[in-house]
Amino acid sequence: MTLIETKDLWKTYTMGSEQVHALRGVTISIEKGEYVAIMGPSGSGKSTLMNLIGCLDTPTQGEYYLNGKRVSTMNDDELAGIRNREIGFVFQTFNLLPRASALHNVELPLIYNGSASADRAAQAESALTKVELSDRMHHKPTELSGGQRQRVAIARALVNNPSLLLADEPTGNLDSKTSIEIMRLIDDLHRQGNTIIIVTHERDIATRAHRVLSILDGQIASDEVTSEDRRTVG
Amino acid sequence: MIAPALLKIAVEALWANRLRSGLTLLGVIIGVTSVMTIISALEGMMGAIEDDLAVLGPTTFIVTKAGGVITSHEQWMEMMKRKPIDQKSVDLVSEGCELCERTCARVSGSARLKRGNNTMRRVFIGGSTFSLVDIVDMEVAQGRFHSYEDDLYRRRVIFIGDLVREELFGDADPIGKTLRLDGTKYTVCGVAKKRGTMFGESQDDFAFIPYGTHIKQFGAPGSRGIRMLIKAVSLERLEDAMDEVRMILRAQRHVPYDKPDDFTILTADNILEALNSITRIFRMGLIGISSISLVVGGIVVMNIMMVSVTERTREIGIRKAIGARQQHIMLQFLFEALVTTLFGGLIGIVLGYFIAESLVGMLDMQISPSTFAMVAGLSISTGIGIIFGLYPAMKAARLDPIKALSYE
Repeated sequence: MTLIETKDLWKTYTMGSEQVHALRGVTISIEKGEYVAIMGPSGSGKSTLMNLIGCLDTPTQGEYYLNGKRVSTMNDDELAGIRNREIGFVFQTFNLLPRASALHNVELPLIYNGSASADRAAQAESALTKVELSDRMHHKPTELSGGQRQRVAIARALVNNPSLLLADEPTGNLDSKTSIEIMRLIDDLHRQGNTIIIVTHERDIATRAHRVLSILDGQIASDEVTSEDRRTVG
Repeated sequence: MIAPALLKIAVEALWANRLRSGLTLLGVIIGVTSVMTIISALEGMMGAIEDDLAVLGPTTFIVTKAGGVITSHEQWMEMMKRKPIDQKSVDLVSEGCELCERTCARVSGSARLKRGNNTMRRVFIGGSTFSLVDIVDMEVAQGRFHSYEDDLYRRRVIFIGDLVREELFGDADPIGKTLRLDGTKYTVCGVAKKRGTMFGESQDDFAFIPYGTHIKQFGAPGSRGIRMLIKAVSLERLEDAMDEVRMILRAQRHVPYDKPDDFTILTADNILEALNSITRIFRMGLIGISSISLVVGGIVVMNIMMVSVTERTREIGIRKAIGARQQHIMLQFLFEALVTTLFGGLIGIVLGYFIAESLVGMLDMQISPSTFAMVAGLSISTGIGIIFGLYPAMKAARLDPIKALSYE
């Protein structure tokens, strides 16, 4: 079943009198359960594509269907709802709330979908247990190592059972040993049936995925299946 | 479901920035306190005046040459040209008015009272017929008020206020003792019950002597005339009694039917009304001035909220990325402003009440917690929270998540 379908996506920014085309007609289709890496040098438009796929932004032109819903024409609040239910973000800089405990950080998406306080705590605890941080729940981000912070972020991304885990350079701020640890965790999540899109410029990271989309000058330059393990769930 | 969680987030954010929140709170507290102090003190003062006028009693009215609210120079000039109320008017009313239970004439002057080495200057000396004590609520603590005979024979007896007793006689029993009024010897016949102070002024520095004695001592009342105090037979007939007196006086003073009265009739009610209309302007002015500090408090709230929104741009970006809608972000920041102003408002109300009480305590007035002041204080501070918190909250809610996330 198709999770992501884009048709001729364009994103144009106006800078002064000049029009900059960050994306020039991107058409992709991603099935449920896929493990996809989006690669490209900086300025290639991969961040713009990630923002569009993550529903943080809308295209200037073209259509985008996520899980059968046409999100390309949604307004700000509808997009917020989609981000809340369908997408789990993992950022390079973790983007945790510095003053809140790990538990509270993981609870956040549940607050915005209106879950009851008791349910929130239980779900957040279980998500933190999944990333093996059950003993660090009440620590603040500043009291955690980089790898631990990224695991809190992953727990937060998963707590709402989203259809898509969208990771933007998830190992960019980590040392190589910790990077491997985090990537193993992401691999595991894929094996458990999660659809994963990982944006990276590192070849070793990209090779872990089963499909690599290369983007250059705002267009898909190549789309290669690197593993026969490309599987479809549902 | 979401609102309580957002409220909690707001409170935690305020707590995390304790010093800043405290200073903002202080701004609100100062504003609300000043408004509350003024409202409470004004209400207390009005209460005191009302109590004082209650002395007149509901069935009593005053007839005088000039009085009431004077709003123009012309009116004042007209009043000054009026003929004084004379002895004849008093006689006509006391004989002719059927609905008047008692009528009493009162004249006034001021004199120096002396006993031994104790002297009081510029003491109010009222001259009245004996029935005054039945008309106004003046209670006799010791001895008696002067009698019909005292009036008739123009005896030199004097009924003194409590402060006069204290200053001239100290702890000694004054009844039957003498004092000198501008050098003339008078015998004390009675002492009035202590009335306390109003606006820091004693209400007990007065003395009354019989009407005839007053004329003998101070001369005829002249152009100021006599003030008549009249008690109607009942509250129901008060208006009728006033009409009767009006008819008698118009006839005596030959006022043509198409001209207004050339004298003034006052009741406790219309004195109060006049007073209210004067204090209303005064009140609005004071509240207006003190409201400036409330506006300043609001600006402090807004300023801090703007700083807070800018400082937490990244946090807002994170919240939006994981699914916070505009209304969620807006509520979170509006709650911060509201919690600050509501809390500040509550403290301000309590502080304002105590300050008003201690101020008024110095002036010896009664002050009760005014519901009006409390409701006003709370709604004003809530209003300030909403008005001054709305713009920063909306600014936060409308941030673009991508820009907010990359904000350094």
